[in-house]
Order: sequence, then structure tokens, then C-alpha cells
Amino acid sequence: MKTRILEVRSLSKRFGGLTAVTNLDFDVFEGEILGVIGPNGAGKSTTFNLIAGAHAASGGEVRFAGEPILGLPPHKIAARGVMRTFQHNRPFVGMTVLENILVGAHTRFHMGVFFSKARNEEAQRRRRADELIEFVGLGDCRDADVATLSFGQGRLLEIARALAGEPKLMLFDEPAAGLAPAELERVAGVLRGIAARGIAVLLIEHDMHFLLPLAHRVVVLNFGAKIADGLPDEIRANPAVTNAYLGSHAPAR
Amino acid sequence: MRWLGAFVLLAALPFFLGDYHNDVYRKMLLWVTLALGYNFLFGICGQVAFSHFAFYGIGAYSVVILLFQLNVPLPLAIVLGVAVCIVVALAVAIPSTRLEGFYLALATLALAQLFVVLLNEGGSVTGGNGGIANYRLPDIFGVRIRGPWYTAVICALLVGTYALLWRLDRSWFGRACRAVRDNPEAAAAMGVDVARTKVIAFTLTSALAGVAGMVYAFVDNTVNPPIFGLDNAFLLLFMVIVGGAGRHAGAVIGAALLFLLPFFLSPIVGHHHVLVFGVLVVAAILLQPKGLIGLFDFMRKSS
Repeated sequence: MKTRILEVRSLSKRFGGLTAVTNLDFDVFEGEILGVIGPNGAGKSTTFNLIAGAHAASGGEVRFAGEPILGLPPHKIAARGVMRTFQHNRPFVGMTVLENILVGAHTRFHMGVFFSKARNEEAQRRRRADELIEFVGLGDCRDADVATLSFGQGRLLEIARALAGEPKLMLFDEPAAGLAPAELERVAGVLRGIAARGIAVLLIEHDMHFLLPLAHRVVVLNFGAKIADGLPDEIRANPAVTNAYLGSHAPAR
Repeated sequence: MRWLGAFVLLAALPFFLGDYHNDVYRKMLLWVTLALGYNFLFGICGQVAFSHFAFYGIGAYSVVILLFQLNVPLPLAIVLGVAVCIVVALAVAIPSTRLEGFYLALATLALAQLFVVLLNEGGSVTGGNGGIANYRLPDIFGVRIRGPWYTAVICALLVGTYALLWRLDRSWFGRACRAVRDNPEAAAAMGVDVARTKVIAFTLTSALAGVAGMVYAFVDNTVNPPIFGLDNAFLLLFMVIVGGAGRHAGAVIGAALLFLLPFFLSPIVGHHHVLVFGVLVVAAILLQPKGLIGLFDFMRKSS
């Protein structure tokens, strides 16, 4: 029996008169990739931002490792062990790849700056960061200024930076967006590797072709509500999903 | 060891200088110290504040008032002076860093103005327009520190400030500050408490300015209001921008250059050197946003 890491219950968000997310329920287990898909405007990103603490929810509950996290500010959610990436890469410019990743490890530093043990801690974190750089395949640009990275490399940096916080749950906001096919392969491989480490992965994605081969389970949103969930093959065969994506008169693929 | 070497070099020089040059040298060192602290706040943490000279003044006035009006012993006066700076800095920073944007700049602008008004209207406590004079540094263990020996105290202040900020910059705290400057939202997602990081950076650099002010109080053995006004706060900002914001070496170069420049310019342009500064700052922002240190890096790379 795998451990349940994230429980989302009756999560709702209204922006004025618009209901972006309605009574959403789902769970994420350790070592699993849960894909959340839906057409544009389905409430995927809103759901993501509610869990990450970037937006305040209108109702419902989110429990991480058994503790409620809804209403906590983003930095406290990160400190609990929930790390995220951004849909549009947000590197810390003017810092190297290594330094960016060390910022990701911020919550893992416990020594005051002027204690002698701080040196050991720093050295240890740098070794961990080097491992992560190798893991995502940025070994060639460890000391490069992040401004010199390609878009795809920037995405890998986002992932390594979030991993440095030693999360139990990782939230990915459309990690496939804007990537070339070869880069997609690489990101997919990295995501599988993360799940293989026992980390729970919540993957918000627009691109079904990227997500379905990758996810262990899939939740489908449309107009802010869950319209289906199940294994990728079940989702492929589900007419409600095809309708949501392609319209009800389109022939099933 | 490196720091000790730097200290010995800096402290040895004034023994070969005359009184006038020693005075210029001391003031340059104080400007460099202030620029280092301000660079940490503005260049590294990305927070715009105009209160650095107000804290310099709070440090200077507190130590003088505590020593000579309240007859507090020197070590206690230093501790209390730092405490006053920390309390004022927290009172300004905690409310204004909760809000995004220019609130810290506005609050510190108000503080800087208010402080000068308080000094001018402070009656016998602050000495009003004329400030306080006719005191001297109490003897320490029966020794009277003066002349080049007091310059050594300033050198210790500078090297100590540099070492402290250098260490901080290369730690998780320094990286958190840069992350807050570059992208606060991403910094928060990495677990950085953005408001707290800003408050700590502001309070720390303000306290450092206060300590520098205490040392300054015994350079001329007089403190008076004009020194601690906004003119100097803006000059400090210019120094950091011209030298290269975010780099310690940039702060040193910018401060030394803009402090010494008027001495060379005044025979040529009289008191219009501020005009030259204005042109320099605009040129730095337009042509070389990384400042002189950025220019230096560029030349070293291409040669």
C-alpha cells in the first residue's frame, strides 16, 4: 500500500462571479505521477496555484502528509516539502546554474551563517547540487550564467532547482510547454526518474500526447470540475474526455 | 589572514600621510564602508532605501549623547547605539516590506527627512543646527587613540564590514537576497521568506551604517545635521550604481572614485562637480548597467 501524500477535498475557487474550480477531489500517492489535464480554461493552473499557495481558495481542503496546507504562504508550503516549477521559466538571473540550484535548497540549510559548521553544510549542499545537475543533464553548464541557457535547459534547471528542496511532492505546471521533441523526451525521462525516487509528482499538462504515456493516473478537468479520472488507457477511451477536447461531433480517434 | 593583510596595508598608509591627507583618507574609508553596506541592501537584495545616512547619524548622535549627556560608559554606549539602530530599522522595515513595490523607498525617504528635522529641532539634546562639538573619544584602558591610530580603527571597521558582508554574500542568506531581488515569487516558491529576508537585510545594513556613524563621531569630534541628510544618501546610491551594483569591489571603486573626484574636479569646474556626477550616473545606467566593475570584467575578458 503506497502512502497518500496529497489529499485534495472539495477544493473550490471563485474569481468574482466566475467559478474556476468546483468541488475538486483527488489524491496523489508517493512515487506516482498524477496527470491533471483539460482544455484551456479548465482550471488546471488555478488548481495548481491553490495547492502551491499562490492563490487563496474559496473553499475545500488540501492536506499534505496529513497536515492541512491551504492558506499557508508559498514559502511555508515549500518548507514542508512541496516544491514547484513555473510554466514560464523563472531563473534567478545573474547567478550560475549551481547557485540557482542552491537557492532551491534554501529550506535545507539549518546552520547560522557564522557558525563553523556552516562550511560543512555548504559543502554538503554543493555536492548534492552537483548530483542534481548531473541527474537533469546540465553538467556542461554548472558554472554558466543562467542567462546563457537555452529554453529547454532552463526548464531542466527549474526542475533541478525544485528537486534541491528535497520535496516529497513536486508540482509541475505544463513542463512540456514550448519544448522541442528531443527536449520533451529528456524532460519525460527526468520526470520518470523523480517518481522512481519515491517522490509524488503532480503534473498539470495541456498536451495529452506528452502526458498520457508518462502518467500513472490521470484526472481530467473541464470548466473547473472533474469529468473523469482513471488510468491513461481508460482516459483515452473515455468519450467524455474526447468531447471536452475535440467537441462532441468530432470522430473518436 | 587575507583580511588581516588588507587591514595592515590600509592601516599602515596614514602613518606616511600628513594631517590633511589623513583626514581625506579617513573620510574616503568611511564612504567605502557605507557603500559596502548599501550595496548589500540595494545591489544584492534589490531594496531601494534612502535612510542609510539617517542611520549613520543615529549611530553618531546616539553614541555622543549617551557618552557625554548621559555619562554612559563607552562599551555600553556602543551596544545601546546599535540597539537604537536595530529598533528604528525594524520599525521602518516590518510594515513597509509587507507591501510590494516602492514602500520601503518611500518610508526611508520620510525617515531621512524626519531625522534631519529632529536633529535641527532637538534643542539641547541634539544641539540644533550647530550640532554637538567639543568632546573627544574617552581613553580606552588609559590610552588616548588619535591621529593615524584612530585611522586604524576606521580601517578595522571597513575590513570588518567587508569580511562580514563577503561571508554573508556567499552563504544561503546571500543567495536568498539575490533570489528576492531577481524574482520574489520564484524565491518564495523555493522556500525563501521574502519579507523576512528584506527585513533582515535592511536591519543589518542599517545597523552597520550606525556603527560606521559611531566611528565617524570621533573623526572630527563634532556631529551636525547637514552630513546626515538626503544629499549624501543620494550620493551613496550614485556611488554604488557607478561602481557596479551587486558587487563588493564595485562599491569600493564607486565610493573611492566619487569621493575623490571633487578634489580633482574643483580646480576645473568649481562646485559644479555634482553635474559631472549626474552625467556619470546617466552614462552608467545607459551604457554600462554593471558599472565600472562590469567594464573592468569586460576589458579583462576581451584582452
